Amino acid sequence: MEDQHSSPELFLFLASTVHDMKNSISVVSGTLESLLAAEQAKDVPQADPAYLQMAQMLYQTKRLNDNLIQLLALYKEVGKPGYPFDVQPQLVSQVIDQVVDQEKILLLSKGIRLETQCPPDLIWTLDEDLVIGVLAHAINNAIRYTRDTIRLSVREHGDLLELRVEDNGDGYSQALLEAGSAAMDGMAAGVNFSTNSTGLGLYFSSEVAKMHKHRGSSGSIALENGGALGGGCFILRLP
Amino acid sequence: MTTDSHATAAEAGSTDWADKHYLLVDDFIGIRILLRESLRNLGARHIDQAASGGEAMKLLAKTRYDVVLCDYNLGEGKNGQQVLEETRVRNLTAPSSVWLMVSAEKSVESVMGAAEHQPDAYLIKPITEGVLLTRLNRVWHKKQVFREIDQACMEKDYLRAAKLCDAQIEVNKLHELELLRMKASLLLKSGEPEKARAVYEKVLADRDYSWARAGLGKIRMNNGEHEAARQIFQGVIVENKYYIDAYDQMAVAYQLMGQHEEACGVLEKAARLSPNSVPRQRNLGLAALKIGNVGMAEKAFRKCISIGEFSVMKTPDAYLGLARVCGLKKDAKEALQWLLLAQREFSPEQIGLRAKITEGMVHHETGDYRRARKCGDELEAMLAEDPARPEKSICMELATLLFAVGVKDAPAGLLCYVVKNNHDNQVVQDEVQKIFDKAKMGDEGTSMIIASRKEASDLMNKGVLLWKTDKLNEAVSWMRAAREKLPNNLRILFNSAQIIVSFLQQRGYQAELAAEAMEVLLYVDKIAPGQQRFAQLMEQLVQLTPPPAPEAELVALEKAPPAAENPGKSVRERAG
Repeated sequence: MEDQHSSPELFLFLASTVHDMKNSISVVSGTLESLLAAEQAKDVPQADPAYLQMAQMLYQTKRLNDNLIQLLALYKEVGKPGYPFDVQPQLVSQVIDQVVDQEKILLLSKGIRLETQCPPDLIWTLDEDLVIGVLAHAINNAIRYTRDTIRLSVREHGDLLELRVEDNGDGYSQALLEAGSAAMDGMAAGVNFSTNSTGLGLYFSSEVAKMHKHRGSSGSIALENGGALGGGCFILRLP
Repeated sequence: MTTDSHATAAEAGSTDWADKHYLLVDDFIGIRILLRESLRNLGARHIDQAASGGEAMKLLAKTRYDVVLCDYNLGEGKNGQQVLEETRVRNLTAPSSVWLMVSAEKSVESVMGAAEHQPDAYLIKPITEGVLLTRLNRVWHKKQVFREIDQACMEKDYLRAAKLCDAQIEVNKLHELELLRMKASLLLKSGEPEKARAVYEKVLADRDYSWARAGLGKIRMNNGEHEAARQIFQGVIVENKYYIDAYDQMAVAYQLMGQHEEACGVLEKAARLSPNSVPRQRNLGLAALKIGNVGMAEKAFRKCISIGEFSVMKTPDAYLGLARVCGLKKDAKEALQWLLLAQREFSPEQIGLRAKITEGMVHHETGDYRRARKCGDELEAMLAEDPARPEKSICMELATLLFAVGVKDAPAGLLCYVVKNNHDNQVVQDEVQKIFDKAKMGDEGTSMIIASRKEASDLMNKGVLLWKTDKLNEAVSWMRAAREKLPNNLRILFNSAQIIVSFLQQRGYQAELAAEAMEVLLYVDKIAPGQQRFAQLMEQLVQLTPPPAPEAELVALEKAPPAAENPGKSVRERAG
């Protein structure tokens, strides 16, 4: 970005402030996770209001962290050559495991089941950190809509890798479905940020998808209703 | 919660992380506490912590850690990359140990630094236990895949290492790409550019990777197709403007074409994109000095010194270069201050001679001919005292200065020495001729160059003749004496090693002679890396060496690919 060159000191100051903020958030979410995990280990019914409040705090902390990651990445212009996009062949099941691990305490504390399905030996070339970020964000989002179950599934579909995050809630509103396709059209300005708070996440996800290019085709995202659980469905397709 | 995949649980059992020694480096105490808890949950008992790069270096010097988790941003002092570089340069961790670089965000500086010393993996905060364990196991598994290859690399047996890459590709689809990248770089190191090109082209047929295209550029450059190489690097930059290595390579291509202005321009651009590389600022300073852009040279050398303060990559070139810059600006006082500082920062072996040469040049340029002459006399005395000669570029710099202050015989002798050690290198001889021309000794210089060239080739031909006529004992000792006379002549060094290898092949293995050949080859690889003859002779020499113990032989047998043409042949025969 140009202003990085015109005022390097301000940029350095802002970047180090964000590092500091992220350190603090890491400590807060890490501590909350271990407190919740300790409660969960006690194996007693967890209807304690303090426990539920803690679960809610963890959820909000994760949202804050996701947003900071996305802001930092977008500030560096994801999708532009300047961003350190780093595709490597990855064992997809290992990517899924890492997503599950990031989310499991939060899901357990909210009493939500996470089903996963992934071919164990499937290898795909992708940017692991970005894809984990997109999927974790989609799950955090599904937590708001689901009744009690979220499903994370992977399959090879034609020449594409298809990753789906589905829930058994009431599905996305018309406005959100439209925001989904607007994000895919590359219309950052077209996303109506007032209708929902996921505009940034959708924009970020679509940028990540589009960065993945192979033999003339590039990745995409889509929002649908229905799917295996009958609720909302976030789809990431990678070439 | 249900999940179909149990990979994480299964993998946790694949290696024992409990007994390992860990080092946590982060300036934020909260993060250290969290990570320590995660490691304890994996069963770890030996965990040390450091809050700064300096503290980390102290601990790394004391203890051999198996796993280092190091934050990239460490506040004042060294950053994570500098800690890693110094650790690797000083060999403070074992090749099997794991280095995980931690960062709050994914940044160009940390991921695309094109740094020489790369960590085993990058982690983005916050780090959960599962991600940590997954990445630890993954690195461990990868180290197993590369273990034998790394071993062969350490023994400088690059051709064997390249064959081991092929064997691993067969059984390791996941690491195929990295193995191919490794194989290509090994083939380049072995002086097999055509085979390396085939590997890069195979990779590119599937997907466009900057490193593979840059690899093709390097091959073109080595073939002397400098303009074609330049265009390839340009193309890589258009696609990926942060692929810094392509800028550095493009600058080299320009330099080889004699386009020093352009080379300097490219380095300036690279330094603007990624300013915190000590070697890059040094190269920029040297390039700017070469084209007489004193202002740019000064800026680059000053930056180089300031970022080098905490880095093991700190270089005397920047100090000496800055002294030259001050001399050119007629500020002898500051120039001498930088020289003094350089002598305080670096050992006499590193810069003794060069500091004196620079001092002479500064005096000469600032018009103090009396002091310049005095430096010349001191240098002449040093040359008379010690028969060993410095490397080529220092010899030429020294000769230039000595001529300038009016000394004749000593610099002519130095230049003859340079020619004798490079008797089949036309580029070097042209440079030497230029120095003679500048000293108004053109014709004398030409005949001295011709005589030196002949002396070296006569010396070598006699050795080869003895070898061809089967007088192996005489050939070995003749070449030994030739090496003493011309310690940096590549052809003499290679032929010397070749003759010893033939001796061992025909008369049986002798540990002492094998060690001599090994020493010669390792020296050649140091002064001129990437020679095909080096790789071939190394491979022959390693094959001649009997395995140290029976178990080792067994392992070699098991791992030898069944259909391989040459590798391990002698081992199999001996075992059979």
